[in-house]
Amino acid sequence: MASTQHALLSPAELAYLHAALSLTPPIRPDGRSPAQFRPLVAETGILPGTNGSARICFADGTEAIVGVKAEVERTRGGYEGEIVEGGGAEEVVTDVNDEEKKGESDWVEMTVEIPGLRDDDATTAFLGAMISEALLADGGFSRRLWINRRFHWKLYLDILLISPPLSYPLPLLSLTTHLALLATRLPRLKSEGDEDPFFDDDWAAARYLYPRNKKDGKTTARPPVTLLVMAVGNNIIFDPAKEELAVADVALAVSIGEDATTAATATGDDASLMMDVDSTTAAAAITSARNLRLLSIRTIDPPSRLTPSGVPNATNTAYGAATTQKQPEARTAEAEAVEGVWRAPRGGAKPLVMAALVHKVLEKGGIADEVLDALHAVDLG
Amino acid sequence: MPLDTSAYSLALLRVDGRRWNELRRMHAQIRTQAAADGSSYLEMGHTKVMCVVTGPSEPGPRRSAVGASGGTGVGGGSGEAAQAEVAVSIVIAGFSSVDRKRTARGDKRILEMQSTISNALAGSLHTHLYPHSAINISLHVLSQDGSLLAALINAATLACVDAGIPMTDYVAACTAGSTSTYAAGDEAADPLLDLNQQEEQELPGLTVATLGESDRVAVLVCESRVQVSRLEGMLAVAVDGCKQVREILDRVVRDKGRRMVQEGTIEKGVGVNDMEID
Repeated sequence: MASTQHALLSPAELAYLHAALSLTPPIRPDGRSPAQFRPLVAETGILPGTNGSARICFADGTEAIVGVKAEVERTRGGYEGEIVEGGGAEEVVTDVNDEEKKGESDWVEMTVEIPGLRDDDATTAFLGAMISEALLADGGFSRRLWINRRFHWKLYLDILLISPPLSYPLPLLSLTTHLALLATRLPRLKSEGDEDPFFDDDWAAARYLYPRNKKDGKTTARPPVTLLVMAVGNNIIFDPAKEELAVADVALAVSIGEDATTAATATGDDASLMMDVDSTTAAAAITSARNLRLLSIRTIDPPSRLTPSGVPNATNTAYGAATTQKQPEARTAEAEAVEGVWRAPRGGAKPLVMAALVHKVLEKGGIADEVLDALHAVDLG
Repeated sequence: MPLDTSAYSLALLRVDGRRWNELRRMHAQIRTQAAADGSSYLEMGHTKVMCVVTGPSEPGPRRSAVGASGGTGVGGGSGEAAQAEVAVSIVIAGFSSVDRKRTARGDKRILEMQSTISNALAGSLHTHLYPHSAINISLHVLSQDGSLLAALINAATLACVDAGIPMTDYVAACTAGSTSTYAAGDEAADPLLDLNQQEEQELPGLTVATLGESDRVAVLVCESRVQVSRLEGMLAVAVDGCKQVREILDRVVRDKGRRMVQEGTIEKGVGVNDMEID
């Protein structure tokens, strides 16, 4: 999957950027440290017509709005067959324990709108899939939409990118979705058991989809966030700008969830929830402080692969190289890496870099912590 | 829920408590987004739209593909012509209406609105100053409560002002309706200004855009049946409403300009003296 935005950079500029980002510590074009996020402006509850909404503006001017709408839907094949047998209402068990609350992934529908791109474009579909995948990966999300054995909430997430896509919009869209879900409220259920659902029409009594503490108003569990991470040489760089992504050796979308349950029970769950990660990294996935969990990793085809290569002076006819070179020799010369000459990266990520990357995402006080802290501070009104 | 118009004749108040010639609360902002050449946000009652303008710029290679798929309404000549092309694309968010409804991008109503806005703006913008270029206007509908086309035109005008594209005057738009349905055949029906969603669904209505303070009509869209005798009254009310809207848009632009001068974002230029900076 190519992230389609091409930065119009010459091979010489690409080589310079690549060299600057490969230094230890890397020097980024905008002067950030490798694990520093761009500043952002966020607000929630901007649209009273939705169940939850959020808007985020990044410092580079990209802006996204997410609106969440919920509808009551009848669960397919849920309960219909079995009720007739019981006869008396007292025999129907009204207390449903948590194990019975099951959700299905089609209870969530997500659409992504990017200006200038068709909605069936590969980029749009891929972005939507990545965000919904992260959301559903922990299995606990669709369970929140359970009303009773016959009905559930159907959640529609509409993600709008307002600005032209200047950089790869994945982190922006994911963070905005995160905030919108945190601000989402569903009407309080008044009916009991498996009756037809009947709701309290007082919006002030509506329950948050992600319930929060009475005392400090902070949520206990939180929806996942997907971050963009890239590697240049042995350096790992977070939240790359467009120009940085243009020279990336590897680009990854890493989804992180936060869990309120104790670390002990999380250990068992995690191994099964790992999607693209082998079990050796599972140990790194659990940190005690925040209980971060790695939900999914996806590689993103960096645009650097499609960039034209530079020509070394030795083979450049403008610099006095012999014009009478034979064709096969010229090709071998091109394949060799020459210091300071841009060559599009080939092949996949090194396993060591991948391991370091995952470790860095999940480490205590790392970037994921920082981002979640920042989102924590947003007033959820 | 059907609209009860019987109560109107008693107190001469509409469902939302307005009189016949009152606009809803209108609030607008310009330069809402740093990355765009021009941007605006506009509320007319509960109708909320955002606009982002890119350009005038070289028409991208992507544009022709989008145009072919019916994604944009294009007016003001093609890219090769001596005039800039005004391409409008409207995205109606799924969460904008009360019941979530997904509108496909090729929807005929949206296409018509796109070409209406594009033609109206191409008439006011000095497109001949930018040959071989494109002005891309992308509109996002965040919330709908009637008068959608009018809100979109106003937002697009503000964003074009923000983008600094020379134009003859504001294209200010407004809707007007009539207090009774076509079927009632009531000749004495009063005209109404600025319809909301409920009124728009039940009553005959039209959308008018005028060029600045003049009475020159740039857009006139009427999609409902109405007796021709009522049309004149509706049109007069709508044109009057457009003048009020123009005042509001003008105030938004001037306020923003004044604030930018005060903050030192731009230098105080010629003619700013008239703006009474306090």
